[in-house]
Amino acid sequence: MSGESIRAGIDRTLGQLSGDVRSAKGMFMLALLLIAAVSPLLVSRHWVGIIIQIAIYALVVLSWNFIAGYFGLFTFAHAALFGVGGYGTAIVAAEYGVPPMLAPLLGGLAAGLLALPVIVPVLRLADDYVAMVTLAYAEILHRAAIILDGITGGPTGYTGIGSMFGGGQLVFFYFVLAVVAGLALLQYGLLVSRFGLIARAIRESEDAAQMLGNNTIRFKTIGFVIGSSIAGIAGGLQAYYIGIVSPPMMALTQMIDFLAMAVVGGLGVMTGPVAGTVIVHGSTEALRQIGDIRLLLWGILLIAVILYFPKGFMGDDRFWDRIEALLDRFRGGSS
Amino acid sequence: MVDSVLVAQQLINGMLFGGILVIIAIGLSLIFGVGGVLNFSHGAIFMIGGYIGLFTAQLTDSFLFAAIAGTIGGFILGVVIEVGFVRRIRSRDDIGIAAIMLTLGIAIVLENFMRTTQGSFHQSLPVSFGTAVWNVGPIIVVSRRVYIFLLAIAAIAGLFAIIKYTKVGLGIQAVAQDRQTALLMGIRPNRIYAITFGISAALAGLAGVLLAPLFSIYPSVGWRPFLLAFIVVMIGGLGSLRGTLVAAVVIALVRSLATTWFSTQTTFIILFLFMIVVLYLNPQGLKEVVEA
Repeated sequence: MSGESIRAGIDRTLGQLSGDVRSAKGMFMLALLLIAAVSPLLVSRHWVGIIIQIAIYALVVLSWNFIAGYFGLFTFAHAALFGVGGYGTAIVAAEYGVPPMLAPLLGGLAAGLLALPVIVPVLRLADDYVAMVTLAYAEILHRAAIILDGITGGPTGYTGIGSMFGGGQLVFFYFVLAVVAGLALLQYGLLVSRFGLIARAIRESEDAAQMLGNNTIRFKTIGFVIGSSIAGIAGGLQAYYIGIVSPPMMALTQMIDFLAMAVVGGLGVMTGPVAGTVIVHGSTEALRQIGDIRLLLWGILLIAVILYFPKGFMGDDRFWDRIEALLDRFRGGSS
Repeated sequence: MVDSVLVAQQLINGMLFGGILVIIAIGLSLIFGVGGVLNFSHGAIFMIGGYIGLFTAQLTDSFLFAAIAGTIGGFILGVVIEVGFVRRIRSRDDIGIAAIMLTLGIAIVLENFMRTTQGSFHQSLPVSFGTAVWNVGPIIVVSRRVYIFLLAIAAIAGLFAIIKYTKVGLGIQAVAQDRQTALLMGIRPNRIYAITFGISAALAGLAGVLLAPLFSIYPSVGWRPFLLAFIVVMIGGLGSLRGTLVAAVVIALVRSLATTWFSTQTTFIILFLFMIVVLYLNPQGLKEVVEA
């Protein structure tokens, strides 16, 4: 891409963004970002930590939505590649002395590289078969992380990552927020461009997209690698956030959490992953006192969303109306 | 030779485990073949079956009653899942993916329901049957495993008999082949879907009870058998019962032999790798090879 076309792309993205941000959903996202930005003034360190976690998870879910929601490639390997990014970051930082701010980028590279082998079968398959083959690949990566204890630290995980910014939570918080917002903007820019149009064309009908002269294999590969690399970068942030990278990060249960966030927020909607992560992870943390029942509750939430709001919280306008009606009834009932 | 005894011992164990793996995998394959649904709550149904068996065994001290209760409980749960949940999304364009997410949600709910009511600790089935140990030459066989294996074989034979010789079975075959034509022939697909889901879940519930005396029961116990069954079904050919049968036996044997030399994790890696290769080369699985 030449410098000029990049500048044109940035102009187009900003133009589109200035329109989108005025819509109801855009305002909602802007409000969330502003609340997050001023939150260190308002809430305890514990909750700032939770907001960091929400931001990192939101980035993972955003990048999953990039692959699944726009290209229609329902990958189950995302949590595993998130973990690969975490391991990659931790290893280059601890063993090769890569500066902490740079290390997650290399983690992203590692995730992108390890996404390549599974692309070969993914390109040959469709729909639920993509889910199956990526699930198998994810399990291979997960179990490899457990076995290869010389590299990964085995079942107990890899420690000794060190800290970013000398362990200052506030600087790290704003760094994470900036990285997440920046990478979200990058994905947004790609999706409002021709690239995004072709992605959606592939999702709706790959044959038609191909017939119109698009190299769908190339676009699917690029989309898959970009999405996976972003998950890897998020994994690097996660490594610095919790100070340890361990196999559960790559487990099927972690993947299910991400899927739930994506589905609750809404597939194929740019704002869905953020809302879904805030709802699912935020409520999980807020309800920590009630114990395991909260896991039962969000299982029920997931089922309810799939049955009644298949487009998710941000994708279904009926949902907004119903919430409004529910609030009205609540207001009427309490007064 | 000591090695050949070890191998023979492992093969026997693998065979006995294979019997149970068949009934888990065949249920998974059946639902996919008839309804196009990859049921991620299959492992959770297995787990619920195990708990039902556990409670029944505590009350009656009979393993046979436990197995029957687990089977019936599984059947009811399966019908409820199909009629109450899966049916509502059946007409959607993205049924494959939506069904995966929906059944994942059901699995989460079932698992955490048991976790909140029963706790996460491991419980074992209090049955005192088949404790005799048979020595076949140098090979040791615990008779309980053989009885359990025979029960599994009986269940598989029962399933094949139902599908081959009953009217319901004919309906299942018809809907699996062509839903529209089946509808024109006076078969109600919704009823067939419910029965198929019920039968599949009954097998999972039974498997949960059958495996309980060998392992133990806890809320997340279903995931490992589910993943194994998942591999089996992929390799055997989704929806092909005979392919699944052969693949289950082969994989159970491979697994028990491999765990002699490799760790469980490495064995799983090999199996998943094999699954990816099979899917890549032939998304239909190996069923053509088997049925030809």
